[in-house]
Amino acid sequence: MKNPYEVLGISEGASEEEIKKAYREQVKKYHPDQYQDNPLSKLAEEKLREVNEAYEYLTGKGHTAKTSNGWSGRSGASGASGFGGAAGGNAGGDNFRQIRMYINTGNIAAAESLLETIQNRNAEWFYLRGLIFMKKGWYNEAVMNIRQAVNMDPSNYEYRDALNRINMNNNMYRGNAVNRGYGAGPSFCDMCTCLWCSDSLCECCGGDLISCC
Amino acid sequence: MFGYIMPEKPELKIKEFDIYRAYYCGVCKSIGKRHGQIKRMTLTYDAAFLALLLGSVLNIKTTLTKERCIVHPLKKSFVSHNEIIDYSSDINIILAYNNMKDKWKDDKSKVALAGIAAFKRAYKKLDMEYPKKCAIINQRLSELSILEKEKCNSIDAAAEPFAKLMEEVLDYEKLDHKTRQILRWMGYNIGKWIYLVDAFDDMEDDIKNSSYNPFLTQFNYKGQDLKVFKNDIKSQAEFTVLYCLQEASKAFELLSLKENKGILENILYIGMLSKTDKILCQRSCGKGEKSI
Repeated sequence: MKNPYEVLGISEGASEEEIKKAYREQVKKYHPDQYQDNPLSKLAEEKLREVNEAYEYLTGKGHTAKTSNGWSGRSGASGASGFGGAAGGNAGGDNFRQIRMYINTGNIAAAESLLETIQNRNAEWFYLRGLIFMKKGWYNEAVMNIRQAVNMDPSNYEYRDALNRINMNNNMYRGNAVNRGYGAGPSFCDMCTCLWCSDSLCECCGGDLISCC
Repeated sequence: MFGYIMPEKPELKIKEFDIYRAYYCGVCKSIGKRHGQIKRMTLTYDAAFLALLLGSVLNIKTTLTKERCIVHPLKKSFVSHNEIIDYSSDINIILAYNNMKDKWKDDKSKVALAGIAAFKRAYKKLDMEYPKKCAIINQRLSELSILEKEKCNSIDAAAEPFAKLMEEVLDYEKLDHKTRQILRWMGYNIGKWIYLVDAFDDMEDDIKNSSYNPFLTQFNYKGQDLKVFKNDIKSQAEFTVLYCLQEASKAFELLSLKENKGILENILYIGMLSKTDKILCQRSCGKGEKSI
């Protein structure tokens, strides 16, 4: 086992409060929801397991957050399993199920080539194509395909949920930067304006702040 | 295409700034020592980032020495030396050489031709040392020029070769499989971000020279006012480039680093975001390019 303090990113001898706080942060960071469309999801699961072990070790509690299989109805490692129902009645059904399997196991190439063979290009076809693009890192194409799926079948929760999830992701990155102090100070433009105004005011009163203008 | 990966200076601690500079100067000096003084001209910020990142992954402790430099002969500044800094300087030369070859092919620039002549020997040596990397980088760049010739109309597809190139650059062969997997995904997304941000930045010039630009083809530019066009596509472009940064940072979080973590976080979370905002919003402050 790794050093539990290092895993949680705290110094040895941290108080229970600090341990709890660090644990919560780490769980949030490596939560399966965060890595749902990410090819590194398995590694994130491992990370979360380590975090849980470290927390259990330090607090002697055995009831930490569950990994991968206990998350609110979604299995952690997947972006697409557990919703096979929609595909059942149509011609592409079995193929779609197979494609979902491939996506879940990370075999993107196989998923892609099987998808191309399907003639029936319904909402699910576009949705799965979007998921495949997501895993490949083609985000613009992914969103266009998933949006197409939502437009074709607006009542489908799975498609809408995926679209919302992807859109949420970006706000998180920006939020992270703001937490680190991004955009907090006055911008360069503000400073210029400020100086220029001060200079004008000084000149009105007969003084001069910036001699060149 | 290079030099977009920068820290946000006002948000760095002073000691972090010194370390960043030490790595930057270290790569520069390493180029001079290993490949010849004149080649130091091609140094980019990206190489400093690469050295910092891989150095941190390998947990190499940062050592600072005070040395003089040709560029600032009067004062001594901090410099750092280690194997990763040497590796980054090699990569820097490989990319610079390929960049010049591209420039020569595209615009028949005489400067590039002179550069190719000067770099040929250094590159030959590196080609022997990293045959696989050089071959892949070459292949990706030729894929890129084919896509550009075909006027590829998808920003994702157009960015793919360069993303795959950066994937190769960040992948350090001495590391374990898991870490390499993380670094490759990080490289892929950083490469994609560089390519797209660069393309967005170059739109004006590309219209002037009627060169290829993925944003112009994907979003059907028909000669309207560029400001209006940029405004129309801004949110879609922003979505993709920020998603790249978000995925790169998620990969980064899986690395659990200690050494120089603050600087790397500054670059990934603030520096690159601020660069993106500057390019996409075209603030009235011009390019805002200040050297570190």
